[in-house]
Amino acid sequence: MQIIVKTAGDDFASRMAQMFEDVIHQGHGSLVLVFLIGIIFGGIIQYTRVDKFEKIAGFAMLKDTIVPKMLFLTVGITSIGLYFMIEAGGAHYHVKPIIWQGLIIGGVLFGASMAIFGKCPGTGPVSIAEGRIDVLVGAIGGLLGGLVFTLYYEDFFKPLMGESSGKLTLPEFFPGHEHMVVLIFGVVVSLIAIAIPKVEMFDEADLCKLPDDQRPDRN
Amino acid sequence: MNRLPWWMGGILMSGLLLMTFSIFGADRPIGASTYVPFFAGLVFDLDPEKYTYLKEIKNAGSWEGIMLLGSLFGGFIVSVFLTKTFRLSLVPTGWKKYKNNSVLSRLFWSFISGFIMIIGARLAGGCTSGHFMSGMSQMAISAMIFGAVVMITLVITGRLFYNTKEN
Repeated sequence: MQIIVKTAGDDFASRMAQMFEDVIHQGHGSLVLVFLIGIIFGGIIQYTRVDKFEKIAGFAMLKDTIVPKMLFLTVGITSIGLYFMIEAGGAHYHVKPIIWQGLIIGGVLFGASMAIFGKCPGTGPVSIAEGRIDVLVGAIGGLLGGLVFTLYYEDFFKPLMGESSGKLTLPEFFPGHEHMVVLIFGVVVSLIAIAIPKVEMFDEADLCKLPDDQRPDRN
Repeated sequence: MNRLPWWMGGILMSGLLLMTFSIFGADRPIGASTYVPFFAGLVFDLDPEKYTYLKEIKNAGSWEGIMLLGSLFGGFIVSVFLTKTFRLSLVPTGWKKYKNNSVLSRLFWSFISGFIMIIGARLAGGCTSGHFMSGMSQMAISAMIFGAVVMITLVITGRLFYNTKEN
């Protein structure tokens, strides 16, 4: 049996095949590695349950702090590790530019919809994978959002984003003291993660599967 | 409800980020919102030659597209075998408690917020993964601006949108 993969066409199947081909050739890890990164990413999110509506919308209501605790700890540890990896030549900076209008307008839209949706683009697919149909509907909305953004990018969205004021990182404000700034930043952010009081909103649908003495909300 | 504690999640996630950043890994940050317009281009059959934005995101979109397939797979496997939370559902418990019991209302707001979320993420050039996790880890000022704006709007919207006082 022969399997023929067309990658030259412009139909949906060929373009999916082109996506695989693109990743193989762009030099950002092998296809298997990128897929593996995805599996671990989705696995961690699912196993810590931070994809749940009760965790993300719960944070918006200030009734759950697992998401900020985990986010800040991730940033704290990674910032120190990454800085020394870059110093040693083991990684590169990929800093995004400061586009004031885009960041502020985009941030407001993103924050408001994150509170209502109770998901973000990284956690949404993980929720779809555990059978959440409402999130699938949201993803269709997102796909249309992506379509609108692509269609009106040049006429509307690009001017709305405004000009880039360049790429800047915190240590660049303190020339000569970069190492110190990185260490302080990493430690302070990690301490913030630990200091944020732990409050949780529980989902009865999960809790009812546990025996009474193991329910975290009852002790 | 098996689950990992938040600190374990943070340690594992930073291990994954460092591996992804490393030149022995993918030599790039983790991002999770560029794949959406990329797939929109595929699904709605837009000609990549005609749209500037599709050209700009071709590489990042493909990379994240593959990562997304992995994350769907990883999320599914873990939800079936480890957390045992896989089930078809329409309205989250928290929505029923703090908003309403209507399926239609949840689906309507999901659709609207999904739509706005992607526009917002693409305007800012990143999302929770690209800006907050990857960007803040590089101590990028852009990520800190985005992070601060998102946190403030998130909490204000949470206050206004849900009935948090009644329960």
